[in-house]
Amino acid sequence: MNAIEMDGLTKRFGNFTAVDALSLTVPRGTIFGFLGPNGSGKTTCIRMLCGLLQPTAGTARVNGHDIVRDAEAVKRSIGYMNQAFSLYRDLTVDENLSFFGGVYGLRGEHLQRRKETVIALVGLQDYLHRRSGLLSGGWKQRLALAAALIHEPDLVFLDEPTAGIDPVARRELWDLLFDLAGTGKTLFVTTHYMDEAERCNEIAYIYLSRLMVKGTPNELKALPEVSPVGTRRVAVSTTSPPGALVLLKRQPFALDATLVEAEIHLLMPEATEEDVILAALKQGGITDATIRPIEPSLEDVFVTLTRRLSRQ
Amino acid sequence: MREALYGFRNILSKEFLHILRDPTTLVFALLIPMLQLILFGYAIDFDVRHVRTVVVDMDKTRESRDYIAGLKNTQYLDVVDYLPSADLAEQALKRNDAYVAVIIPPDFARRYGTPRPPTVHVLLDGSNSQVADSARNALQRPPDLSTPSAVDVRLNVLFNPEIRTQVFTIPGLVCVLMQLVTVSLTSFSLVRERELGTLEQLMVSPVGRLGLMLGKIVPYSLLAMLELVAVFFLGRLIFDVQIVGSFLLLLVLAVPFVLAALSMGLFISTVAQNQAQAMQMTMLTTMPAILLSGYIAPRETLPGPLYLLSDVFPVTHFIQISRAVAVRGAGFIDVLPSVGALILLTVVLIWAATTRFQKSVG
Repeated sequence: MNAIEMDGLTKRFGNFTAVDALSLTVPRGTIFGFLGPNGSGKTTCIRMLCGLLQPTAGTARVNGHDIVRDAEAVKRSIGYMNQAFSLYRDLTVDENLSFFGGVYGLRGEHLQRRKETVIALVGLQDYLHRRSGLLSGGWKQRLALAAALIHEPDLVFLDEPTAGIDPVARRELWDLLFDLAGTGKTLFVTTHYMDEAERCNEIAYIYLSRLMVKGTPNELKALPEVSPVGTRRVAVSTTSPPGALVLLKRQPFALDATLVEAEIHLLMPEATEEDVILAALKQGGITDATIRPIEPSLEDVFVTLTRRLSRQ
Repeated sequence: MREALYGFRNILSKEFLHILRDPTTLVFALLIPMLQLILFGYAIDFDVRHVRTVVVDMDKTRESRDYIAGLKNTQYLDVVDYLPSADLAEQALKRNDAYVAVIIPPDFARRYGTPRPPTVHVLLDGSNSQVADSARNALQRPPDLSTPSAVDVRLNVLFNPEIRTQVFTIPGLVCVLMQLVTVSLTSFSLVRERELGTLEQLMVSPVGRLGLMLGKIVPYSLLAMLELVAVFFLGRLIFDVQIVGSFLLLLVLAVPFVLAALSMGLFISTVAQNQAQAMQMTMLTTMPAILLSGYIAPRETLPGPLYLLSDVFPVTHFIQISRAVAVRGAGFIDVLPSVGALILLTVVLIWAATTRFQKSVG
């Protein structure tokens, strides 16, 4: 059984279609990356899958339950972690976990055991009696994750779980997510961080309310739209990347050029010699450029696909 | 000076943009004074007319009927019922069916205009001091003006014999204050959770909507009940306003009132988009609580639509109960209609809040 099966899932608000006929399956035990620019309909889709919103058309099954007919069964079988910290700030860590455990029907001994398990998992032992509003961003997200896991859901929705926390806390949270996936849980994650997207088993990319592509990171990089036959990608590094980008974009051989982490990722016909590039740069006064061939990154994938679509 | 004023124009135009972007707040802010004008204008009418009156006519002659007609002509008194005995008339006052009872003796016609004029007993409900004053005016200014001594009117003020204002105001004030505090207790609760995002976390859990609503109401109702006891106690301590009837009964009957008021707050909480709006809406309920509830002037003076509107506010009904039990010593049966109204209000408001809440999530 798949964790999630969407079939033509659609949500309209008046004239605006927020989610347009989305069909997607998420297998169990995977970290599934749900990506797309802001406003592309990711959160609306998650809200439908969690039973918060009724779809306008289409159906979906979450853990085998129909999201409209069995919304309550869906709610019991999922965990949900929001991008904004949405636990009670005036309650302590322990009180928050007791509350959310209780809401899912956990009582007494069982609740206590579950609390101990999730606390150990996220490492909150030392903060049990601290008010959650006083925790730092990273610890807040750990607590939110613990609360989302308290009732042992098989599937957890994480809507930008790492937005606004520091890189170290981000890395640590992802380590936790890998541990969870290792125990067989399905994680449905939205993020804007490409390094996080790279870590997902599978990725769906949503653009303008529609599913654009779906696949493993490697499958996406090999897409013909991203790496057309007869082209190759190189990374150009120099001490003045912005100037080089402007120069390269003007060249006839530049099919696409983007700045990625202080390098220029350049898509060009396979036959283009590296000397041609260096010469073009030198003409513009940039003499220190070095060139190496690269595979497209996920960022290249999404930028290329998005540009293609917005040109259409 | 230039430096101190730097940015003035930019701030000014930005503020205008803020105001225009949030039309709800603007509409409320501008609407409130207009509503206040209408409410204050209509509701505060100290010239109380058409006081509900029952008549016990033991004479049933042309003279007695003329006398009653004369009383009606003053416009101060409205005869709402004819009753066979003085006991029943007193009951009617206790139940607040009437404020005044005019009892005409069997020898009215025979003694009318004689040197030993007939004695008309008038029972006045002293629990409403304005009404009592008005009725007194009407009765002591003889209707036909012919012979001032044609009738000997004996006024008998029931329930608040000294017509002390505080005996009238305190049991009402308690109700008004209690509605203000209870409505505001819950009106913020859901909005706050919505703003903090915790509401969404709750809604993905199996928590039921009714469970959420009732779970929010019960703790506050306990607080409100404690507050109610404290306020009545203070009223007695400071203003010497005794509770004539059963205090226990009053507390029991306060439960549906508190629940209705808290439900009203909860309903506001489902309508308001943010805490500022919740506050405005709460304020909007305070004016009717004071002006329309019968706390200041009797509801009878209200024009029809406002009278109907006043029924929506829990305080209107609880003031009836409070004055009945605290001042007139009424029992449960006497205030049954008000209790029924409060229970109905509670059910309707919780239903409305629960239904609205479903639509407003997400």
